Amino acid sequence: MMAKTFTMSATKPSLESLIRLLALLAGVALLVVGLLFPLVAMLVKSLQDRAGDFIGLANFVQYFQTPALVNSIVNSLRVALMTTVVVVGLAFVCAYGITRTCMPGKRLFRMLAILPILAPSLLPAISLVYLFGNQGFLRDVLAGHSIYGPIGIVMGMSFWIFPHALMLLTTALTNSDARLYEAAEALGTPKWRTFLTITLPGVRYGLISCLFVVFTLAITDFGVPKIIGGQFSVLATDVYRQVVGQQNFQMGAVVSVILLLPAVLSFIVDRWIQRRQVAQLSARAVPWQPTPSPLRDWVFTLLCYAVAGAIVLVIGTAMYASLVQFWPYNLSITFVHYTFQGMADGGWGAWFNSLKLAFSVAVVGTLVIFFNAWLIEKSEGYRPLRQGLHFMAMLPMAVPGMVLGLAYIFFFNQAGNPFNWLYGTLMILVLNTLIHFYTVCHLTSVTALKQLDPEFEAVGASLKVPFWTTFCRVTLPVSLPAVLDISVYLFVNAMTTVSAVVFLYNSDTRLASVAVLHLDEAGYFASAAAMAVLIFLTSLVVKLLHTALTHVLLNNAQRWRMA
Amino acid sequence: MHTTMTSLLAADSPAVMTPTTPHLRIEAVTKCFGTFTALDNISLAINEGEFVCFLGPSGCGKTTLLRTIAGLTQQTSGTLIQRDKDISRLPTQARDFGIVFQSYALFPNLTVFNNIAYGLRNRRDDRARIDKRVAELLALVNLTGSEDKYPAALSGGQQQRVALARALATEPGLLLLDEPLSALDARVRGHLRSQIKALQARLGVTTIMVTHDQEEALTMADRIVVMNHGVIEQVGTPAQIYHQPASAFVASFIGSMNFLEVTAQGNNRALLGTTPCACLPHTLKLGQAAQLAIRPEAVALSREAGALKGEVVGIEFLGPFQRVTLRLTEADQTIIADVPSRDSSDLDLFVGQMLSIHLPAEAARLYPAGSSQQ
Repeated sequence: MMAKTFTMSATKPSLESLIRLLALLAGVALLVVGLLFPLVAMLVKSLQDRAGDFIGLANFVQYFQTPALVNSIVNSLRVALMTTVVVVGLAFVCAYGITRTCMPGKRLFRMLAILPILAPSLLPAISLVYLFGNQGFLRDVLAGHSIYGPIGIVMGMSFWIFPHALMLLTTALTNSDARLYEAAEALGTPKWRTFLTITLPGVRYGLISCLFVVFTLAITDFGVPKIIGGQFSVLATDVYRQVVGQQNFQMGAVVSVILLLPAVLSFIVDRWIQRRQVAQLSARAVPWQPTPSPLRDWVFTLLCYAVAGAIVLVIGTAMYASLVQFWPYNLSITFVHYTFQGMADGGWGAWFNSLKLAFSVAVVGTLVIFFNAWLIEKSEGYRPLRQGLHFMAMLPMAVPGMVLGLAYIFFFNQAGNPFNWLYGTLMILVLNTLIHFYTVCHLTSVTALKQLDPEFEAVGASLKVPFWTTFCRVTLPVSLPAVLDISVYLFVNAMTTVSAVVFLYNSDTRLASVAVLHLDEAGYFASAAAMAVLIFLTSLVVKLLHTALTHVLLNNAQRWRMA
Repeated sequence: MHTTMTSLLAADSPAVMTPTTPHLRIEAVTKCFGTFTALDNISLAINEGEFVCFLGPSGCGKTTLLRTIAGLTQQTSGTLIQRDKDISRLPTQARDFGIVFQSYALFPNLTVFNNIAYGLRNRRDDRARIDKRVAELLALVNLTGSEDKYPAALSGGQQQRVALARALATEPGLLLLDEPLSALDARVRGHLRSQIKALQARLGVTTIMVTHDQEEALTMADRIVVMNHGVIEQVGTPAQIYHQPASAFVASFIGSMNFLEVTAQGNNRALLGTTPCACLPHTLKLGQAAQLAIRPEAVALSREAGALKGEVVGIEFLGPFQRVTLRLTEADQTIIADVPSRDSSDLDLFVGQMLSIHLPAEAARLYPAGSSQQ
């Protein structure tokens, strides 16, 4: 290593390697300023009193002596665990139906099942109020229990986390080796034993990973408990209440640190599992193909479409509620709620802000994240820098949105911070959202880049072509499907997220998702539903455009793939 | 295999080489990866217009040496001089070479034309000149008419030739080939071997090819550099490498070789068991344990009486010759002899037969014992 660094510094620096180094440094700087510094600022804040003096762990002591606050930990764990059981159970059954049975209508089911991802987590909460609330038409189903509280939170979270779990488990169950099943059959193994000894062990890593992802999403979610939690407080809503309600930033920081713990823990477990999962399936595995079995196929069709029905019901209810004059007394159809009278500056401005944010994040984020991943994967030299950048790119996954948003306040709103001018602009929202959803995009980029021939860059260099030309003419076009996936992922998340940005908007940059929250707080439930539906429809249109564009690109502009 | 070797036996004259200033001088190049030494103090000169093969088992450092020449790997110490210019610390872009990788690394989203023109575009040549040059190159590699095809539509051999054309497009002074034929099936490989060799001879471009395939090296190279464990074992023409292996490793790596345990005697003698054998002059000490190396085709069998006897324990029919395995009566060792098919009828070979074995002194080399391990 010493010798390597030595020759490195002895190498005559060419213009290209200088540019490469500058780009790497810029990437590192982005994540240091956008992630590390804010998190450090938050940790420091949790150790200070209101005057800003260091008081050690006094805030934490105070936290644990306040029963109302400590209670939230138990509440959070309770709803997160319940949600995990419900979601992973349902998702496993549905994923099994998709991959291991011949049930009809798989494509339609997969399309319907993915819909919740396009909606903000506030939408199911609003719908559930309409369905099971005091005026709800399914109120009696709850047999006297209130929807406001753990029941509503678990139902709402299950709705919007379900697609994440379904995608993970579908992938895990797709990777099967038919030869194992044939061997089991040849040995006369009963079906249930085959399931226990082949199917379950085969998906164990995917399943454990899925459990942790779902648990993390559930424990850190803010939208659902905010709308439907009632008096039932959880960690995420505590952060919001401490900061926005009571202006107690120190206690907000303390709750954030506590909220960070389960997320970091599941992050570590997930990374550990990912590392073990490598090459579990040999390259010679033969994919297993299901054969028709009428009884099994119909049972799974019923189960899957029951789930799909629930999803459609929730989304349909929100749409219907947004169009009804005055629920439940005057059910005539109107578009009046789409004028957003509850908002002083009009809701369409917020929607437009969200659109601007989502487009900016999609364009800037995709380029920055993909280029950084390229620097990490396809550069020679500067090894410590590249490893550092990769490590920081993995971190955002472990940082809940609420924590990141609050950390931004602490860091960027400091007097004397050179980046202080960002505060209150759309740019800080772009930066925050980009960092918040960085990890998944980074991993997608790395996977796509690893599939490319490792010698493209070397060939370009041997032909005296600068690296940026090869990047633009070869690497980027060849990775286009992955790049489009990243951009649409960023767009949809920027459109629907509420947790981090709820701390960072100002009157000029209010976002649609935040508007849903405010309309709901102010009692304009139908307008809140209308705004949530608007976000959902926007995401849906973009997703459809993306699908169409990908289709066109693969069939025309990227004809070479077919050759 | 056999035809190759007999033709080499016939044409036992080293390729003509005129002493000129070398195109590339590699001086004391060492490359370490952590504690692992991939290249250990390598020095080598490659002449202008020469076709040189780096040959060795996987992990011997041949690819590392090629990548060091290309600037894709930075040597830990040592100097590289190309046409009197020190390129040791130059980045890849500033060096003068074209390269063909094992995977070809053709850009999948660009047509054959754009792949070949990739390096020309950058030189801001005008369109007409680029068109002309690409057409020339396509003709050179027999792919005229494939301009608008994408790499995925080409066969492996065609892709390989496109990669070659792309590497030659900018008229580099040095052509580097990294196992260019190993991804192809045997028939295409044989065909391309002669095509590449003919092309190289026509263009006169100095070429370095890395390969682990001895047949490829023997048929294509003007000179072969045999490497093992990061050091050069021998540099020489194919005939020199085959007939005068400098070490037991080279002897065992190239072609088939019998190694018999013997004891060194005088300066051109050895003792096999109790039987004295003549061999080429050696420098081993009297009584030192040694290996006597002799090629199977040099071993002569006869039904007449002789000093060394063996029992036939196996006969393999290999077409032009029969490979006979014998156990020596003298010592518990086996020896292989390749008997040309036309001679085998005289011997009337069968398993269990006793034959006398003659080891011609001019084909028997002595190496220190235990040095043939790869």
